[in-house]
Amino acid sequence: MNIVARCGAAPRTLNNKECLMSLLEIKNLRAAVGGREILKGINLTIGTGQVHAIMGPNGSGKSTLASVLAGRETYEVTGGRVLLNGKNLLELAPEERAGEGVFMAFQYPVEIPGVSTSYFLKTALNAIRKYHAQDELDAMDFLQRIKDKMKLLQMDQSFLNRSVNEGFSGGEKKRNEILQMALLEPRLAIMDETDSGLDIDALKIVADGVNALRGPERAILVVTHYQRLLNYIVPDFVHVLRDGKIIKSGDRNLALELEERGYSWLDGATAAA
Amino acid sequence: MTPAATPAVSLEELARWFEREHSLDAPWLAEMRRHALAHFRDVGFPTTRQEEWRWTNVAPIAHTRFQSASPADSVEPLRREIFHRMAPYAPRSLGGYEIVFINGVHAPELSTAPAPAIQITTLRNAMARHGEMVRAHLGREALWEQNGFAALNTAGFQDGAFIHVPDGVVVDKPIHLLFFTTAGRAGTPLLVQPRNLVLIGAGARLVLACVYAGQDAAAALTNPVLEMVLGEAAQVELVKLQRESDSAFHVAHEAVRLRAAANLLSLTLNLGGGLVRNNLSVRLDGPGAQATLNGLTLAAARRHVDNHTLLDHACANSTSHELYKYLLAGRAGGVFRGKILVRPGAQKTDARQTSKTILLSDEASMNSQPQLEIYADDVKCTHGSTTGPLDDEQIFYLRSRGIAAVQARTLLTYAFAGDVLQRVRYAPWRQYLEALVAGELNRLHIEKTST
Repeated sequence: MNIVARCGAAPRTLNNKECLMSLLEIKNLRAAVGGREILKGINLTIGTGQVHAIMGPNGSGKSTLASVLAGRETYEVTGGRVLLNGKNLLELAPEERAGEGVFMAFQYPVEIPGVSTSYFLKTALNAIRKYHAQDELDAMDFLQRIKDKMKLLQMDQSFLNRSVNEGFSGGEKKRNEILQMALLEPRLAIMDETDSGLDIDALKIVADGVNALRGPERAILVVTHYQRLLNYIVPDFVHVLRDGKIIKSGDRNLALELEERGYSWLDGATAAA
Repeated sequence: MTPAATPAVSLEELARWFEREHSLDAPWLAEMRRHALAHFRDVGFPTTRQEEWRWTNVAPIAHTRFQSASPADSVEPLRREIFHRMAPYAPRSLGGYEIVFINGVHAPELSTAPAPAIQITTLRNAMARHGEMVRAHLGREALWEQNGFAALNTAGFQDGAFIHVPDGVVVDKPIHLLFFTTAGRAGTPLLVQPRNLVLIGAGARLVLACVYAGQDAAAALTNPVLEMVLGEAAQVELVKLQRESDSAFHVAHEAVRLRAAANLLSLTLNLGGGLVRNNLSVRLDGPGAQATLNGLTLAAARRHVDNHTLLDHACANSTSHELYKYLLAGRAGGVFRGKILVRPGAQKTDARQTSKTILLSDEASMNSQPQLEIYADDVKCTHGSTTGPLDDEQIFYLRSRGIAAVQARTLLTYAFAGDVLQRVRYAPWRQYLEALVAGELNRLHIEKTST
């Protein structure tokens, strides 16, 4: 099977490590907020086992793309389609998308006072198990499972008794996102600016957590402004988003080049697809 | 007074009832009742032109012809039958000392044996046996001269509970006052007026719960007055649970006085009633006195719930914390008006007030108003109020983790309510209320999604 990252730059044949079935297909996706078009025809195909990075300057539409995939209702999809394993993602409610294996790590994880992290995680895990017609986990099984995942992210168990994200530091919030990802084992993980607000130590912990979840059964889409994160989560493909379109795609060297030359280097570049 | 204030209930009739029923009262009480009735005749029911009542229109009460509840409304075996129907509303599993009133009349056969070392009895019994103690406090804490409803209660209350905890006594179990109301004979709306007097000695401790419950279609007016005095360093946890029928009126006056270093923790939980007004006033009368007033209201349909609180800091170094929350669905209306009064000389007062409301529908409405009157210069007084729908971002966050929309909404409303309930200190009551509220919230969301 000849799976390609078909966006902007010339199609590129994948090596055998990456050559698995296509998980996500985005075709000419358009989306608007308040009548203003932000995504102006995105084309992107991601295969299982791959890590893709989407880079771009502020306002290019990176976070919008992540939100549209997760099902945030403030955005109106005005055209195109998105298939996850051949299923029309855009017809599904956010919770159904989660059931199908979509997970977005939020750029700004929301605080939920009064809901303990433990209750939240158990409810989420059991909701997804129920979606797959699996039995719900009881408190003991859940606790065993979450403890193992917390070790991976160097999180103290006291997190479980605290309200979701309430009073968490920036680093703790992001680690909590990765913890949820580790627990829910999504097929498509979208990291929305996961590096923002993290110091280098927290960034490494988060990246280690993500890397531990890399594998042939899932794909990861990393949305970031800076190449720094990509030193730790090394992508197979890098795409540059500008003004709602992917204008260039390449391998990780493209990220290094952007780091060196800045986004203005691409001024005047046009989608070559 | 405007014509709207003229009550439809016949005052002459009321006066005749009261005089007949209370002909055996002690002269001092008969005198107080006469004054209260005269006062009620003067002022009548309040109207929305009065600042204190601008968001709560009691015209439906003023226009209803009530019948004063009398022992005939709760004779045996009717009383026992009513009690059995109401049994699910009784917190029996908590094992407290219970005094049961059916339509305002004490039901001794349904109440538990009195506790040793303390006096738990009816106000009528107390007047016969401890007349002077009752006389020293009755009508002194609740200022019936300022309010038509409290005057009406004073003029015509039937009975209620009398609790006296002597100095230093720690009551081993909570005391539960249960007030169950049904429709009167031939379905006539009843006027039920409990009068409760609670005297807590220095250093004594008590958990006291007042439960008001009514049957589904009972259109009664429950007009209770509670007067309570906490002696020095006394500690009381007061739970008021109001679960009357959706067509019931409930107008309550609760007045508490705290002496030095006394501590009051109160929760007012409104789950029922069609038109509800709670007036809770606390006078902090000695240094180190501390009052924590919490409130939670769940209302749907066209229910209207109004909480007015007064924290009267009458001396230096007293503290009050207040948190009132509302969850309003359907076309429900909520009112919160919290007054903090810092009297001259009440330096170092620390008063904090917060009210928060979640509107679960576009038709629900909330009026919230803090009112600070401060006559001292070295004080710390803060207030804050928020009203809005559930947070879309929180809902999206939960849904993005696989949690269905309805479940996400329920979870968030429960978290909002749980924040108040977790402040209940007495664990059995906390657990009882958490389970109760969880059930009510599920109902609220089911109703919302099915309409």
